[in-house]
Amino acid sequence: MTTSRRQHTLEVLVENEPGVLARVAGLFSRRAFNIETLNVGPTEDSSISKMIIGVAVEGHSLEQVIAQLDKLVSVISIKDVTPKAKEVHDTQPDYQN
Amino acid sequence: MAKHVPTANGTEMTGATSLVKSLEAAGVDVMFGLPGGAILPAYDPIYDSTIRHILVRHEQGAGHAATGYAQVTGRAGVCIATSGPGATNLVTPLMDAAMDSVPLVAITGQVPSAAIGTDAFQEADIRGITMPFTKHNYLVTNPDEIPGVIAEAFHIATTGRPGPVLVDIAKDALQKMTKYNWPTSIKLAGYNPKTTPDAQAITDAAALIAQSSKPVFYVGGGVIKANAHAELRQLVELLGGPVVTTLMARGAFPDSHPLHMGMPGMHGTVAAVTALQKADLLITLGARFDDRVTGKLSTFAPNAKILHADIDPAEIGKNRHADVAVVGDVKETIAALIPALKAALAKNKPDLTAWLRQMNSLKSTYPLGFDTPDDGSLSPQLVIQRLGQISGTDTIFTAGVGQHQMWASQFISYEHPRTWLNSGGAGTMGYGVPAAMGAKVGAPDSTVWAIDGDGCFQMTNQELVTCALNNIPIKVAIINNESLGMVRQWQTLFYDSRYSNTSLESKRVPNFPMLAESMGCVGLSCERPEDLDKTIEKAMSINDQPVVVDFRVHRDAMVWPMVAAGTSNDEIMIARATAPDWDSQEL
Ligand SMILES: Cc1ncc(C[n+]2csc(CCOP(=O)(O)OP(=O)(O)O)c2C)c(N)n1
Ligand SMILES: [Mg+2]
Repeated sequence: MTTSRRQHTLEVLVENEPGVLARVAGLFSRRAFNIETLNVGPTEDSSISKMIIGVAVEGHSLEQVIAQLDKLVSVISIKDVTPKAKEVHDTQPDYQN
Repeated sequence: MAKHVPTANGTEMTGATSLVKSLEAAGVDVMFGLPGGAILPAYDPIYDSTIRHILVRHEQGAGHAATGYAQVTGRAGVCIATSGPGATNLVTPLMDAAMDSVPLVAITGQVPSAAIGTDAFQEADIRGITMPFTKHNYLVTNPDEIPGVIAEAFHIATTGRPGPVLVDIAKDALQKMTKYNWPTSIKLAGYNPKTTPDAQAITDAAALIAQSSKPVFYVGGGVIKANAHAELRQLVELLGGPVVTTLMARGAFPDSHPLHMGMPGMHGTVAAVTALQKADLLITLGARFDDRVTGKLSTFAPNAKILHADIDPAEIGKNRHADVAVVGDVKETIAALIPALKAALAKNKPDLTAWLRQMNSLKSTYPLGFDTPDDGSLSPQLVIQRLGQISGTDTIFTAGVGQHQMWASQFISYEHPRTWLNSGGAGTMGYGVPAAMGAKVGAPDSTVWAIDGDGCFQMTNQELVTCALNNIPIKVAIINNESLGMVRQWQTLFYDSRYSNTSLESKRVPNFPMLAESMGCVGLSCERPEDLDKTIEKAMSINDQPVVVDFRVHRDAMVWPMVAAGTSNDEIMIARATAPDWDSQEL
C-alpha cells in the first residue's frame, strides 16, 4: 500500500534541564503521537535547547500535538518549520493489512 | 495557631528549614504526611513550624486528604512523604488530582544526590514515575533552589488549569546549609496561562448563542474551580436555556432550579442526556467531553454546534471540534459573555418555549427513582436520599467509587458549589474517607459525610485513626451491599450474572461498627427502613468524634439510567432492557 502523508517539522525550544527529553518523549508515547525523527541540540543560550521533531500528522492531530506539547512547562516555544509542500511517500509494503 | 513571621532573605539555615520557611511563605496552613529517612531532615523544622502537620496512616490518605482540602477551600492541598515506597504511595492521589484538575503540591524526600541512580535503599525515580500525571515536577539537589522551586510549584498548581506538582528533594539538599531566598516574582518562560478571553471570541460566542433554538449549557467542574457559579446563574437566566451539570460540576448550579435537567453521562438523567443529544448548540463551560459524558463519540450530540470555553487550549477540539472556542478563565469568560449576549439578544432573541417544553416533559416523565425492595430490606438509594434531606444542603459530601457514588450524585440535591467531592476522572476507590478528612480540615464548621462503599471503605479506612486522634469528626455512611456493587452490576448486565470475585461478604466480616470503635470512632449500624431516620439523626448528633454507620442494604439494587460503555447516548436505558418511550415524546 502506498500512503501519502505530510510530515511536519516542529522546532521546539525547551529548558535545558535534566529529564526534559523524557518529558517530551513521554508525552508523545502516552498520547499515541508518533515521532518520525528527533534531533536535540544546543542553542546560543546555554539554558535553552532546541529539539527538531518530525511528526507525520496533519490538521486536527497536528493541533493536538502542538497544544499538548505547549502544556509542558519545560517547553518554551513551538514553531512549525515544515519546508513547503514536502510530501512523504511511504512505499514500504504494509504487512499489517 | 501562631502567626507566621516572614523570614528575611539571606538568612542562613539548612535546606530543610528553608523548605519549611518556603511552605510558610507560600501560605500553607496544613499539610498531610508521614516521615521516613530521606525526608526526615524536613520533619525537624516542621516540629517548630506554624504549619499544622497531620500524621496520616498511609501516604495515599495524605494525598487524597490534600485533594479534599483543596476541593473545599480552592487553595492548594499539600502532602509530604519519604522516598521510595512513601513516594510511590502518592502515585494514585497524584493521578487522581491530575484527572480532576486539583491544585496539589506533593513534597517527597529523595536519596542523597550522590546515591541517585545506584538503586540505593528506598530509591525510586518518582519524578520519572509521575511525569505523565503531574502538571510539572522537580528534582532538587541544590538547597539554594528550594524557595524558588516551592514558589513555582504553588504558582503552577493553582493557576491556569489547576493540577498536581511534585517536588522531590535529595536528602543532602535538605541537610546542607543555604541562604534562604524567597523570590519576589516568578518568571517561567514556558508557562503563561491565558486567563482573559479574546474579545472577538466572546462576540462570536454571543452571536452563536443568539442564533440557536435548542441550546444547552453543558457545565463542567471548571466552573466550580473558577468560582464562577454566580456568573453562570446570571448567564443561564439571561438566556433561559436548560442546564446539565457533570459529575464534577454537581453544585455548580442549584439542583432545585427549574432550568436544571440534572447530570448527563453514563448514569445521567434522561432529560440531561437527551438535552445534549437533541441540542443545536452546546454551551460548554469548563467541561472536556469525557467519554463518560459523550458515550460513543461519533453519535454524541449529532446536531449540535459547539461553543467550548475552557482555560486549557489543549481541550479545545481534543474530543469534539469546537465551532467557537473561548480560551480563558471561565469566570472571566462568563462575565464577558453576559453583556455580549444581552446585546446579541436585543437584536435577535430566540424563542426557546418549545425546546423547554420538550425538556420539561422528559424531566417530569423520567425523574430519577428507585424501587423499594419487596422483602422489607433497606434500599441504598433511600439511605442516601435521607442522608441528603436530613443533613441539609450546607453539608459536604464525599464519595468512594461505585454504585454508592452514582446514587450520591443522583439522590442528593446539591445547591452550592464545593459540597460534592468525588473522584471523577480517575474513579479511585478509597478516595472517600481521606478526602472527607481533608475537607473537614478545610471546612471545620461544616458537616462532612463520606458516602462510601463497603469495598472502598476497606481500602483507606485507616485514616479514621488519623481523624479520631486529630479531632477531625467526619461522618461515614458505609453503603454495605456486601459486594463490589458496580462491578457486580456489569456482571449482571453483561456477563450473564456470573459473579466472579465481586462478593465481599462484608455483612459477615469485617464487623464495621467494631472496626470503627477500635479506631476511636462511634460505630453504628442500621438494617431496617424504620430505623433509618433515627440512625442518621443519632450520627448527626455526635460532633466530638468520627462516626461510622454500617447501612446494611439490599444487594441487588442497580444504578439507572445507564448508557452502557461504548454505546450511544441514544441507547439510554431507564431499567434493564427498557428504553424511554420516545414515541410519546415530541422531539
Ligand atoms: C482502586 C480501584 N480498583 C478497582 C476499581 C474498579 N471498581 C469500580 S467500582 C468497584 C466496586 C466498588 O465497590 P464498593 O466500594 O462496595 O461500592 P458499590 O459499587 O458496591 O457501591 C470497583 C471494584 C476502581 N474503580 N478503583
Ligand atoms: Mg459495595
